[in-house]
Amino acid sequence: MSSNWTKEIRAIFMKELKSEWRSPHAFLTGILFGIISIVAISIAAFNIHVSPTLAAGLLWTIFLFTVVGTLGRVMIAEEESGTADLLRLVSRPHSVYWGKQLFNFIQTLAYAVLLTALYILFNGVHIAFFGLMVASLFAGSVALSGAVTFSGALAARAANRQALAASLALPLMIPVATWGETSLRVAFGEGFYDAGRLAALGLFCYGVVESALGPYLYAALWKK
Amino acid sequence: MNKDSQDSNRSAFAAFSSSLSDLGNLISKGCDALDLPFRSPPLALAARIVFFVFVSFTIVRSFTVGDSPAFQRPELARIFFWHFPCPMLATICLLQGTWWSLRYLRSDSLLFDIKALAVLELGFIFSLLTMATGIVFSQAEWGAWWQWDPRQTSFLLVLLIYGAYFILRGSYREPERKASFSSAYILAAILPALFLIYIFPYLPQIAQVSLHPTGSILSGQIKGGYAQVIWMTLIVTSLFSIWVFRLKVNAAQIEHDLYELS
Repeated sequence: MSSNWTKEIRAIFMKELKSEWRSPHAFLTGILFGIISIVAISIAAFNIHVSPTLAAGLLWTIFLFTVVGTLGRVMIAEEESGTADLLRLVSRPHSVYWGKQLFNFIQTLAYAVLLTALYILFNGVHIAFFGLMVASLFAGSVALSGAVTFSGALAARAANRQALAASLALPLMIPVATWGETSLRVAFGEGFYDAGRLAALGLFCYGVVESALGPYLYAALWKK
Repeated sequence: MNKDSQDSNRSAFAAFSSSLSDLGNLISKGCDALDLPFRSPPLALAARIVFFVFVSFTIVRSFTVGDSPAFQRPELARIFFWHFPCPMLATICLLQGTWWSLRYLRSDSLLFDIKALAVLELGFIFSLLTMATGIVFSQAEWGAWWQWDPRQTSFLLVLLIYGAYFILRGSYREPERKASFSSAYILAAILPALFLIYIFPYLPQIAQVSLHPTGSILSGQIKGGYAQVIWMTLIVTSLFSIWVFRLKVNAAQIEHDLYELS
């Protein structure tokens, strides 16, 4: 990657980071949504033994809805504030996409770490393979951020953009949820290690393919 | 009559004759739209008659062929004849629609988008039919309308992908944006769709809990006249969908031409 690309991607990423730093409402909304979901699940499952399969499934459901509800906004906000046209004039589509996806990835990873820690703390989930859990969360964050950035880009210029971004993202996340749940279930002690490792690898590969495809498709829509 | 008014009359006449010629082209396209691939009228008529006879024969045969022992309640399992082609055609339509969407994005020719939309609409209808006939088959064979069987669930999710595509299309007014945004979406959504159709149902932990049979025709569990009728329904449904596809593409082209004229 040439230094121009790196500079452009870094500029977009820093722009997102600074605007989020100034008013971190979106990030905090996501965190609040995740915490409320975890508390609600913990209350509902009070005095009940939650199996690793169910625990992994619930945790992934919380991730999906937290991410879908908050992160599509990164693309949508540009259209709402009227800065998208300016961005189209001064930068290239691939660098805009990469910068925004990188920002979404960092946020998704932060959600994943924080919400998993809270979930494990509240529900006393046993961790059998810590490394696999970390790999699953990392690969899941790559794949989730790819899906949510792309669907945000597609919905950004529509009238019903927020709801549309969520409805477009969820079908793209089905393999993510399946592989994520499998790898996390094994990390929580149910199933074979090899199956969990393969699921985490599948998740990572899906995320990479999605992240590679996204900028090209975004570039095709750039000036439409 | 002065020169200005003569020029004005001449240009009005030119515009009128051009409109007439456009209208003539549209009418001729409309007539073509009702044709089968055969351009010569006697051949087209003969093809229609042969197709009608084949469809009638297939329908009659699907009621009269002997029961297959492969099913728990063979007398109720006949809906399988019409269930079997639906997911196959829905998948083919999805792949074909993705291919045309890719060609649209590479060429910007609206004809490819028209084709992609027509084939994806057909795929959506076949997905709905898959669900409807599958639900009836599930009740007849396994005693419940909905089982959360992995194959049933994965096709429901494919239906949701189709749904998201049409919602995205409907969210934009401009034909070009409609075409390009939905094409990009279907290209991204083909990955999860292929996962749901070809990977998820065959994962070992999923396949062992699924009630849904796999390869029952190719492995010879369903054979003889029963298998023949299944192949016949597949051929009939495929031919019918090709015919409907051609009509839809021609109708959409006329609609597009009218939009351009107005």
